[in-house]
Amino acid sequence: MARVKISGLHKHFGAVPAVRGVDLDIADGEFTVLVGPSGCGKSTLLRTIAGLEEVSEGTIEIGGDVVNDMRPRDRDIAMVFQDYALYPHMTVERNIGFGLKARKLPPPEVAKRVKRAAEMLGITAFLPRYPRQLSGGQRQRVAIGRAIVRNPRLFLFDEPLSNLDAQLRDGMRAEIKRLHQEIGTTMIYVTHDQIEAMTLADRIVLMRDGVVEQQGAPLELFERPATRFVAGFLGSPQMSFLPGRLLNGAGELRLTLGDGSLVLPLPQAKKLGGAADGQNVLLGLRPEHMTRAHGEPGQGVVRYDATIELVQPTGSRSYATFRLAGQPVIAELQAHDVGRPGEKLAIDINLQRASIFDAGTERTL
Amino acid sequence: MGGATKRWRVRSEAGRMLFIGIYLLFVLIPLYWMFITSIKPSDDYLAVPPVWFPSQPTLVHYNAALFAYRGLTGLMNSIVVSLSATALSAFFGTLMAYSFARFNTGGRHLSFWVLSQRFLPPIAVVLPIFLIYRTFGLHDTRFGLIIAYTVFTLPVSVWMMFAYFRQMPKSMEDAALVDGCTRWQAFWQVAVPLAAPGIVAAAVFAFIACWTEFFFALILTSRYAFTLPTVFRAFLGFQGAQYGEASALAIASLVPSIALGVLAQRHLVRGLTLGAVRG
Amino acid sequence: MAVSSGLEQGARVGALPPLSAFSNWSDRNFKWLLIAPAVILILALSVYPLLFSVWVAFVNYDFQVPGHAFVGLKNFSLVIFDPVARWSLALTAMLSAANVILEFALGLALALAMVRNFAGRGLVMSIIIVPLFISPVIVGQAWALLLQRPFGPTNYILGKIIGSEVAIGWLTESPWIYISLILADVWQWTPFMFVILLAGLTSIPPNLYEAAELDGVNAWQAFWAITVPHLAPMMLLALAFRLLDAVKLFDTIFIMTGGGPGTKTYTASFYLYTVGFTQFHLSQATAGSWIFLVLTAIIVGLLVRRLLRAEAQ
Repeated sequence: MARVKISGLHKHFGAVPAVRGVDLDIADGEFTVLVGPSGCGKSTLLRTIAGLEEVSEGTIEIGGDVVNDMRPRDRDIAMVFQDYALYPHMTVERNIGFGLKARKLPPPEVAKRVKRAAEMLGITAFLPRYPRQLSGGQRQRVAIGRAIVRNPRLFLFDEPLSNLDAQLRDGMRAEIKRLHQEIGTTMIYVTHDQIEAMTLADRIVLMRDGVVEQQGAPLELFERPATRFVAGFLGSPQMSFLPGRLLNGAGELRLTLGDGSLVLPLPQAKKLGGAADGQNVLLGLRPEHMTRAHGEPGQGVVRYDATIELVQPTGSRSYATFRLAGQPVIAELQAHDVGRPGEKLAIDINLQRASIFDAGTERTL
Repeated sequence: MGGATKRWRVRSEAGRMLFIGIYLLFVLIPLYWMFITSIKPSDDYLAVPPVWFPSQPTLVHYNAALFAYRGLTGLMNSIVVSLSATALSAFFGTLMAYSFARFNTGGRHLSFWVLSQRFLPPIAVVLPIFLIYRTFGLHDTRFGLIIAYTVFTLPVSVWMMFAYFRQMPKSMEDAALVDGCTRWQAFWQVAVPLAAPGIVAAAVFAFIACWTEFFFALILTSRYAFTLPTVFRAFLGFQGAQYGEASALAIASLVPSIALGVLAQRHLVRGLTLGAVRG
Repeated sequence: MAVSSGLEQGARVGALPPLSAFSNWSDRNFKWLLIAPAVILILALSVYPLLFSVWVAFVNYDFQVPGHAFVGLKNFSLVIFDPVARWSLALTAMLSAANVILEFALGLALALAMVRNFAGRGLVMSIIIVPLFISPVIVGQAWALLLQRPFGPTNYILGKIIGSEVAIGWLTESPWIYISLILADVWQWTPFMFVILLAGLTSIPPNLYEAAELDGVNAWQAFWAITVPHLAPMMLLALAFRLLDAVKLFDTIFIMTGGGPGTKTYTASFYLYTVGFTQFHLSQATAGSWIFLVLTAIIVGLLVRRLLRAEAQ
């Protein structure tokens, strides 16, 4: 168990910067997910924490020790790799016990611990086999077994589920979450998949171009994104962004959308700091903020007569695309509420939950 | 289409087979002739028309080649020198290639310098080495030839292993580092076993290069450390009876050559058949 | 996963024992230690000898003459003004060019013929590549046996084909000596081109040819439009490598013609060998080999630049 503190971390490869000033303070036992598009620096950051890359600037502290100059083997950490990184020429048992053997533990002790880890992960039957005889999911469990057997103070995961099929991924995700609940060690997990991030994290660190765009609890990033990038990254299908202009007159905020054909009154609750009249903005609407109209529209809800252009059914729900002032918008509706393309449907848009971003800085107002 | 294309296809297929057949003859005829020369009794050499297959094959030339002409000594020396140089070259080459592949040691300049050694004309290098060896008493020693051959085969060993390590994922070495290995342990216990096929391939090439090498051996050895190829000097200016000994020795030297050739071919074919394409 | 089985209870594993001073130092300098043995060997047996030979080229190093007096450029001029040296350079260029071109053409034809799979292809492939693994001395020996006069089979067979007696001195008369040498070299090194070109050919995706056939393109056009462009970098690589090896031609000359008749089959390497080890004019040979080295380096430089440019595309 350890607290991880990263201060002012910079890492560049020659002239190419990968991490450009990152500060993180991870509490003991926390499950932190580093997420972001490829090339954002999350894997590099993880590898510097592991000691597999050298730090260009800044410090890394694990459990109070500054580990910048420490070799990976001395940092008391374990890592699970995307391609499992099992030693092909060793049996599963030797794979798991490799680190223990390196620490000169007596063989009976090694065997005992390996057995316990294998039981915990349900892979006892595979101990005498070789990695090439196992499936992807089984190999990943062996990799996790190798990590937990040493009971380190910090776990690092580098996109461990990316190589698995979708179905397997869901199951393994739940198992990793359960693992964390059981052993409670601090875990840092890298992924590009926002669903993994949302479901696993105590805290999400969303990275972009080598810096942290926003960090916090998953729901916080989801409901109160700091920037358009964060809002667009989390949530599937993606939030719809509509350009518009603010009209600030007589104490009432309104929004002109797109081609000017639509003016929306913004609810009182939306206190927009620093909103100027005529400011160019982006309106962000999540698919779940829109429902089929029924009853009276509530506070801050706008009713709109939409012409459905496209319908994508997924079972119990369907995604309907329509245009709002010329811009395409996707709404998530109940399957039986949606008609066919070309039909008109009244949609309730909940502007209370909508996000407004400055068009220039892309930050939330 | 239809009929005309079919005829064209059949004809081109026959043409292709004919061409391959002729080429195979081209390859096999010199070898065949050398083989039967080695088992012909000496009288047959002067026969006109030439004897295509001896009626009384004999092994007397093999005996003479190996013992009267000290072919056996040459053979032993070749084996010792080639195996030693191969081992050293493969080992040092793998070490260097790993350093290049994982750490980019010395950047492009160092690797280019090492690889460019292959293009040095042997005459430019062997002349001064000859003089140096004479000064240090290394001339005509197996040790002297071994280290010369090691340097001579290093560039190719490094190159082959460099390519191999580059396509080998380093995550297992990383895992070993995190698990508790030092860099050397991760290299020796994880990287090397995984690179075994590449090392074998590099060793095969190095061995053949040493086994067939003539020029260095000619100049750097004399009465004691001479290798198999140099024994053929004794047969220069054929005096009739020597045809048999020369051929016998040649056939004897071919054994590892052919064996390794077949081995290499199986490797090649596996790689090449996977992409067999329309001509 | 089974419910917790107490892994976290008091199961903290001990830290690794600290590294000894030596282990620590060798771990920190790992990448340098790895290259050290190879670098030392190359310095000792390549760099040092070359530097030493520079000195040798400028002094009078001759087994027949005592002392090593400085002689300036005398050794170089001896070589440059030696007509045999100039001939050997010309011959090296001509033979290399002829060898490489023939090997390329034959290798390409062979690769094209062998691209498609057929029964026994593996065996045929073994036979084709075996010459690569044979010592050039033995190759020379084999061809010398075939071509010798008067009891070799070649003249006899040719005589039977033509109808009258053939008495060609394949190893003793010009211009047949050149043909003999080229035959031996082509026999040995065509498989080299073959392997590289075949590898290139099999890497071309078959659907390119399928699309071409649908478009009505015939085989000849397909060859020039698809095969050649794809193969071009491989071709260049094969040619460059083979050329650089071909200029070192020595072994087959030694065995087949001994440089003769006279000095007619002296290649650059053979000339330098003669000067250095039969006449023992070591300084002169060294000077000559430096000239040869510089010429080779120039060719290497040009080819490498061409190759790098091709790779960048």
